[in-house]
Amino acid sequence: MRISTRGSYALEAVMAIALHPDEQTINIREISERTQISDNYLEQIFSLLRKNKVISSSRGAYGGYQLARPAGQIMVGDVLRATEKSISPVMCVEENSACGKSAGCVTKTAWKKLYGAISDTVDAISIADLVRDFNQKTTRESIDYSI
Amino acid sequence: MDSRGPDFSLCKGENYMKLSTKCRYGLRALVDLAVFSDRGHVALHEIAQRQEISLKYLEQDFSVLRRAGIVKSVKGAQGGYLLTKSPSEIRLSEIVSVLEGDLLLIEIDDPEQTDIRLFLTQNVWTRLNQNVSKSLHSICLSDLVDDYKMQQSGEGMYYI
Repeated sequence: MRISTRGSYALEAVMAIALHPDEQTINIREISERTQISDNYLEQIFSLLRKNKVISSSRGAYGGYQLARPAGQIMVGDVLRATEKSISPVMCVEENSACGKSAGCVTKTAWKKLYGAISDTVDAISIADLVRDFNQKTTRESIDYSI
Repeated sequence: MDSRGPDFSLCKGENYMKLSTKCRYGLRALVDLAVFSDRGHVALHEIAQRQEISLKYLEQDFSVLRRAGIVKSVKGAQGGYLLTKSPSEIRLSEIVSVLEGDLLLIEIDDPEQTDIRLFLTQNVWTRLNQNVSKSLHSICLSDLVDDYKMQQSGEGMYYI
């Protein structure tokens, strides 16, 4: 029961894009420097994120990546769902491919509760929340440092 | 750079976030054991039959559960298994951590931290791991037994 490397790296890359100043795209080399994730790996992650409309890209000399919608409208759950096959701990709580016994299945109730805890957590945190907290933390640390 | 390297094709790959079959079957078998052991130990082949799980599979699961002290075996020709504690004293967090190895959705052990990775570890991944543990800790085996008994008293076919 693990979030894949792909999923955690995707969130790091989305953060790198979101932390970039407004109205500007960021290219893959800059994202790679910031996150220490290889260009190659990033490109594979980005193809999933683009397909799921989390990020968009523009071509040309000043081309690069940006968020596909405002950071407040992108949840951590959106990033993970774009890159994980599924974020549910068992098949039957998310998809309709139940096992045929699911109507009266008592373990399903427990797994449903677990899935609820996972999805509630990742759907409660937006990229805008993370950017705000990140910037507050960075500001706090630089003040502490100067004193 | 990325030490783990690209490990996937362009399509979404493995279902990493799924619980193992071992864990899903193990929990079903434990609910069965809890329901049917009120009059003494239960043979694994009976659980296997009722739950339609292969006996071989259950034997592996129960040897892990026995070593972890969740079940104990009764030897002999009419042998079987018993829970070591009341179902109300066994939480799902204990069962899942034994059968899955741990309760973590994400391992936090990367020594090469970037500022973003460190921040996400502290603000997202730790919280997610904690909420998974909390959720599983809040459910006792007896809750599932109660659900099962309640369904039994109702209509239709019910399963563990």
